[in-house]
Amino acid sequence: MSLQVQRLRWGHAQPGGGWRQLFDNFEFSCPTGQFVVVIGSNGSGKSTLLNLVAGTLQADTGSVQLEGRELVGMPDHRRARRIGRVMQNPLDGTAPGLTIAENLRLAECRRRSLLSLRGLAGLHPSRSDRRRYAELLEELGLPLADRVDTPVGQLSGGQRQTISLVMATLGQPRLLLLDEHTAALDPRAEATVMELTDRLVARLGTTTLMVTHSLEQALRHGDRLVMLQAGQLIGDWNAEERQQFTPATLRALYGSVTVGTHSSESP
Amino acid sequence: MLSIWIGACDQGLAYAGLALGVYLTLRVLNFADITVDGSFALGGGSAALLLSDHVAPPLALLVPMALGALAGAVTGLIHTRLGVNDLFAGILTTTGLYSITLRLMGRSNIPLTDLRLTIDSWPDLGLASDGRWLLALLLVVAGLIGLLTLLLATDLGLALRALGNNPVMARSNGVSTRRGLTLGIAAANALVALAGALVATYQGFADVTMGLGSLILGLGAVIVGESVLRPRSVPMALLAVVLGSVLFRAMIALALQLGMDPVDLKLATALLLLAALGLGRLRIPGLSDAGGRS
Repeated sequence: MSLQVQRLRWGHAQPGGGWRQLFDNFEFSCPTGQFVVVIGSNGSGKSTLLNLVAGTLQADTGSVQLEGRELVGMPDHRRARRIGRVMQNPLDGTAPGLTIAENLRLAECRRRSLLSLRGLAGLHPSRSDRRRYAELLEELGLPLADRVDTPVGQLSGGQRQTISLVMATLGQPRLLLLDEHTAALDPRAEATVMELTDRLVARLGTTTLMVTHSLEQALRHGDRLVMLQAGQLIGDWNAEERQQFTPATLRALYGSVTVGTHSSESP
Repeated sequence: MLSIWIGACDQGLAYAGLALGVYLTLRVLNFADITVDGSFALGGGSAALLLSDHVAPPLALLVPMALGALAGAVTGLIHTRLGVNDLFAGILTTTGLYSITLRLMGRSNIPLTDLRLTIDSWPDLGLASDGRWLLALLLVVAGLIGLLTLLLATDLGLALRALGNNPVMARSNGVSTRRGLTLGIAAANALVALAGALVATYQGFADVTMGLGSLILGLGAVIVGESVLRPRSVPMALLAVVLGSVLFRAMIALALQLGMDPVDLKLATALLLLAALGLGRLRIPGLSDAGGRS
């Protein structure tokens, strides 16, 4: 298995007092190269699951293994050396004051510790780096190949998100986490980013978890569809089984399965 | 009359390390670092102590830089390890540094009046001592700009710039906030301490209170330089900061020429900066930033 989540427990204090145990011995796994689409209503734990895998939230107990390596206890920036991530907000995934080439360079070096003596070797992005990035963007059909020296802050939200997506796939990540990465985009930019997502995932064969609220996306993309509700996996369908659904029937499933939440006064 | 402006130019160049350090923390790392007030005096005090003990001048500049880096690293660690707000972390270090500098100096003031430096044998460019200093300081500052330009163009520099520009993005690409901020703040305070050492050597004495208001002086240099040159690249930004330092000193020299009482100097500096900030067109990232980065 590429990603294996076992006996995962995570809870949080509720604003009105009390404790909500969102994940209680949660189990999930997916084989190498699988593209899993995760759906579920608000508060079901989709993004929290991605945050627990990425390390921006730390599990209370349990295990999250990526290709056999334990991630629990590892800080998020160390996990990022193996995990590419695209966030919902296009502003989060790129540094606006840096050029496209500089953003791509940083992502390409995700496996190396740049804050060491090795980070002083050579000036980057070099001319050959920039040429390589221009070729990559051209190869991906993105109209940004001649703008590698443009600060990312000058790009539109859709363009920034395509750069975030390309960045997430650079540096040989073992896992790709896409957290509602088209939610803030207009329909045209959404189509472009989703088309690019399919191509990049197919090209690299990276194990992918994509969270979405779009049921159309959920039925059209990926190899497997899972549904979360209140921190529990309430549906798991492969691409063939998924064909039984239409967006309307899938929508009807939301909230139709009652899953109890565990509330108490203390963790 | 000319010597006043050459003197202002010399002072501006001597203070350039302070401006570059403030640029590094505030503009590159997006971190408001008050440690500079303490590390400037630490640099000046330790250099004066070493020079009065006849230690070779290069070493008397390198040791203060190392001490400044250490002071910066302490602030970085307080901020990143303990989650203390950036301003408070700097204030804590600066407060502690006052005693450390005083202990190091052994007294509050060390005069360097009978000091004989290598540059005294340099050609004076027809400008006497100020000309020699101008030459020496130009070499040092040019070296600093070159070194910083190269540093910020490496992968390490890129990681630091990314960290200041978008820490969420930097972390999600494997950059450690703790290590990056600590490293960057340490480097900045090494530059500030060097400025303190150069200023003490140039003015012929070090005083334990010489760092008071350094952040404002550095900030003033950054703002003036950026307003004049409006830089779009890192080397131009560094050049702008140095130019800002010289211009800021020239403004102060002009104010003194116009009869301002030196006692009012700090107030005038603060008001000048306040006026610049009040124009509302100048972005000062870092000043409203909260701590607690891990």
